[in-house]
Amino acid sequence: MQEPVKGTVTPLASLFPPEEAQKASKRVQDALADRQSELDRVQGFIADNTALVNLVQRLPDELHHDIMVPFGKAAFFPGRLVHTNEFLVLLGEGYYAERTSKQTVEILNRRGKALESQVDSLKAMMKDLKAEASFFDATAAEAVEGLVEIREDYVEESSSERVIETGPPKPDSPRFSGEDSMKVAAEDEEYARMMLRFDELEKEELAAGSGDEHNEADVDHSLSQLSGDHVLGSLEERQVRKPLHHSKDEYATTEELLSKKHFEEDFANQLKSKIQLEGLKEQSVPKDSDDVSHGKSFANRATQSSSRGKDNIQALPTSKAETSVQSSKPATDGLKAFTGSIVEHTRNIQMNPREQAPSSSQSSGSQPTKPVSRFKMQRR
Amino acid sequence: MASSSSSAAMRELQRELETKANDLSKLQKDISKNHQVRKKYTIQLGENELVLKELDLLKEDANVFKLIGPVLVKQDLAEANANVRKRIDYISAELYVYNTLLDNYCFHFI
Repeated sequence: MQEPVKGTVTPLASLFPPEEAQKASKRVQDALADRQSELDRVQGFIADNTALVNLVQRLPDELHHDIMVPFGKAAFFPGRLVHTNEFLVLLGEGYYAERTSKQTVEILNRRGKALESQVDSLKAMMKDLKAEASFFDATAAEAVEGLVEIREDYVEESSSERVIETGPPKPDSPRFSGEDSMKVAAEDEEYARMMLRFDELEKEELAAGSGDEHNEADVDHSLSQLSGDHVLGSLEERQVRKPLHHSKDEYATTEELLSKKHFEEDFANQLKSKIQLEGLKEQSVPKDSDDVSHGKSFANRATQSSSRGKDNIQALPTSKAETSVQSSKPATDGLKAFTGSIVEHTRNIQMNPREQAPSSSQSSGSQPTKPVSRFKMQRR
Repeated sequence: MASSSSSAAMRELQRELETKANDLSKLQKDISKNHQVRKKYTIQLGENELVLKELDLLKEDANVFKLIGPVLVKQDLAEANANVRKRIDYISAELYVYNTLLDNYCFHFI
């Protein structure tokens, strides 16, 4: 398993005491209420402005209007409104200007625009306040719930295939470990599925005698499909799977071949590792030793694989039926986050001779003969 | 002996604390007053700028009146412009003074 990582557990309540968070939230809400009332006022002004514009536009329609003129505090008397196109407009600070109806309307429109810009700024402020308030509310709720912040040291993993679950602090409660085991259990399941799939793919591949190059691509594709189908289709897992499948691929291939032809399987192994090298360009170590030993047939194989059409690619992803060729592969799955064996390409040269030894004995594919990667993932 | 001296020291500290607290509250009051005055002046400044804009849009012969008490007094456009400009300058100067005062208060505060 992973080595124990030291970390600290801080209850969120200690960082943000709930009462204080609530108080802060209330303060923000008060400010929000203020802004809201201000906003209502300004919107009232805008409404008045538009009404006034309408009135001012209608007045010059007549030469004079018959109206009830207010007289004192509580009286009116009938009168006449004349000079219907002359308006004394208040400009501000006690200054009035005489304007026509049209000019007055222009002034009022300008005022309306200023008011609207005020409304916009108020709304923006309110949005910010709302965000702040929601943050405080969330924090208060979390603190009350008793959420803890778990901080763990980031263990620098040299292998990128390892799912980095430790590291950044996650504000998750004790659910954290539960999630982990859930993930792992699901991974086991998925691993089993994938192995079955692999076997099937291998069979097909061998039947067609295709190149592993395609197989890898297909397995990639099918793997991502599988992980996509699965509930836990997180990016991390995909990353795990992508390198994972390389090893599984070779793994499965080896298994299949072991059960079938031992001669061809050597070729296939060599071929695959060679093509992995070529296709992925990960290593620059030439497999000279292997080439020498298998020479022409190797080259033939290579050409054969490259000339292989894309039909295999189509065939492999589509067929998802799981065969019962389940070998004892998932033995190392257990409770690890990383449930496969990693076969690095640099070790291929060394590993292949080892593979050949058990293969020559024609044992049905079993795990213990699998080369152990230098990271020793599955042995933890 | 020791206790009396320590309690004397305590009383001393308490008195210091009180004076500091008083200073703090005074400062805070000053700051809030400053804020209010500044707010008033800022609003007036904004209004005057609007008036100036509108006056600029008026034609030369338009009638401008000023409300002085209950009386609307006819004003010359040029005169009105000049008056408004002067008022704007005056308000900006006052605002500047109050701003520096506020800075001083904050400085004291710290």
